Amino acid sequence: MKDSPYLFTLLSTAGTLVFIIVTSLGLGALARLGARLAGRNRRIQEETFAGYMFAAPWIVGFLIFVVGPMLASLYWSFTDFRLGRPLEVVGLENYARLILEDREFRGSLVNTLFLTVFGLPLQIGAALLLAVLLNQKTRGENVFRATFYLPVILGFNAAVLLCWRLMLNAGNGIIDQVIRALAQASPVFSYVNRGLIYIVEVVNGFFLGLTNGNFTLMNKVLAEGLPAANRVPMWIQTPLWSKMSVILLIVWGCGTMMLIFLAGLNAIPRELHEAAEVDGATSWKRFWKITFPLLTPYIFYNLVVGMIAMLQIFEPVYVLYRDNQPLAPSAYSMVYYLYQATFRFNTIGYGSAISWLILIIIAAATFVQFRLQNRWVEYDVR
Amino acid sequence: MRRLSRFLVGGLLYVALTGASILMSFPLFWMVSTSLKSLEEANAPRIIWIPSQVLVEAYRSVLADPDFIRAYVNSAFYAALALAGTLLSIAAVAYAFSRLNWPGKNLVFALMLSTLMIPAQALIVPQYVLFNELRWIGTFNPLIIPGYFAGGAAMVFLLRQAMAQIPRELDESAFIDGASHLQIWWEITLPLIKAPLATVATFLFVAYWNNLLGPLLYAQSTKLYTLPVYVATLYNINNTVQPWPSIMAAAVLTTVPLFAVFFFAQRFILESVVVSGLKG
Repeated sequence: MKDSPYLFTLLSTAGTLVFIIVTSLGLGALARLGARLAGRNRRIQEETFAGYMFAAPWIVGFLIFVVGPMLASLYWSFTDFRLGRPLEVVGLENYARLILEDREFRGSLVNTLFLTVFGLPLQIGAALLLAVLLNQKTRGENVFRATFYLPVILGFNAAVLLCWRLMLNAGNGIIDQVIRALAQASPVFSYVNRGLIYIVEVVNGFFLGLTNGNFTLMNKVLAEGLPAANRVPMWIQTPLWSKMSVILLIVWGCGTMMLIFLAGLNAIPRELHEAAEVDGATSWKRFWKITFPLLTPYIFYNLVVGMIAMLQIFEPVYVLYRDNQPLAPSAYSMVYYLYQATFRFNTIGYGSAISWLILIIIAAATFVQFRLQNRWVEYDVR
Repeated sequence: MRRLSRFLVGGLLYVALTGASILMSFPLFWMVSTSLKSLEEANAPRIIWIPSQVLVEAYRSVLADPDFIRAYVNSAFYAALALAGTLLSIAAVAYAFSRLNWPGKNLVFALMLSTLMIPAQALIVPQYVLFNELRWIGTFNPLIIPGYFAGGAAMVFLLRQAMAQIPRELDESAFIDGASHLQIWWEITLPLIKAPLATVATFLFVAYWNNLLGPLLYAQSTKLYTLPVYVATLYNINNTVQPWPSIMAAAVLTTVPLFAVFFFAQRFILESVVVSGLKG
């Protein structure tokens, strides 16, 4: 039957539908029985039946695909389970190895930290800038808004990511060609470009040093000083730039955050701005004294959601570096490492430990953000 | 004077917006432009914005590639089947959370929202074992079946919000006329929330069409490759010259359905994202 994958899946889907209908009716009937035993009237009994019947797909799916697997993986994370082999409980060994010994995991952790610390503020900043521009209510606003949002829809398809691979080529990629042309045309741009390259390479060298405990690359960059006039960014060519390419892609996909900021800007009462304008406040001042404080809840939301998304990044790393083994470890994200480490040898026990560690990191980071929000998020300015 | 400065500011704003639009959509322009170039022009060490001669050779070769066609069929098959089941089950669960009162509703709803915090990768490993036990590795099932259990708490939430705005009297009068909840759901509620349904359908389609990790894990054989997995293999680092025109032609053909869906649904999407603050 598996000779025809389509037929097999169609039959499985039909079976699933039957299973869902049966469990829904069953769960509904059970709930109705409970309501009757509790002495509720007929109307309530019927609504209880309907409620559980309609909610059953989620409840059943939650038990089968979320609760069960999570409990199982928690158990497996304390074992040396591999597919097709008997497992043995090893206690905390997986976690100890991950935290203390596994260089590549530590590298992926530092890389993800790098993306979060540098990429997320850039992404939020770009989203805020675009939202403020759009909020001036010019003609054609809808077209601009749709254009800015489009990368969210298309951006994480491997096909579009491959186009970035073409554009980021250091030899004849269009981005570097444009930078080269601009640098030749304008000395100011050339100096800015060289300065930026220098900063990026020093910072990346530092983080690479953190990953492998070896700062020679950073020292080399420092020793060479300001890069030569004809230098361009080496996007997907060197470990010093591999993460910057991912950041570029992240900033490009800032459309969802932009829409959130637009909602926030729309919620600001016009009178506040008008009153300040009468008092003679410049628009720069009004932005920082009125708009920005009122936007902090939205910034907070984008920060939390963006951070969780950043910690889960996978597609750009896969498409840009999947076959580039010497370069890949400098850009590994945590999920990419999970994929690599677990499914190369089907080491389920170790992979379970990785995913629980990621889960704990995300939960801790979210918790910290919620604790810190009182310091800067203003909910009651109005 | 004041009018002049206002005029200047307006002009600057347009320049900024247009510049940003060009930057944001440039990759898409470059994708199309490269797909129409000759191999030499695509790999040329100088800037060639528009091909000197528009060639459709690349499209012809991609469309003649049986592996590409199969990947396209696979993607369409899996996305359509997964979308249908997910949309239907999400609409059912949203009905339970918005139009019905039942003991335990709030608890179940809170549980559902809490799954928003669980990152997908925490589940990858154990679900792989589950699908392995079910003998589903190397089939489309792992990509499709979980969706049938109302996968996607964010989407349930979006539909629930939409359903909650329908006046209750509609249900009440239908109920008194003897309609069952199943009838009310199908004949009254769903037709009234067509726009949110379209939004959710679009988000789900985009998510399924772009899905890379799932097919990578479960497809296993080239026969089951979906478009993102197949297109990613077109680039081979060992090639001395990358066949960029045909890679980009494949990329354009891959993104056409996304474009089409976004074009028709963008009005709904942009509004509902702003209203509900949800990510696609």
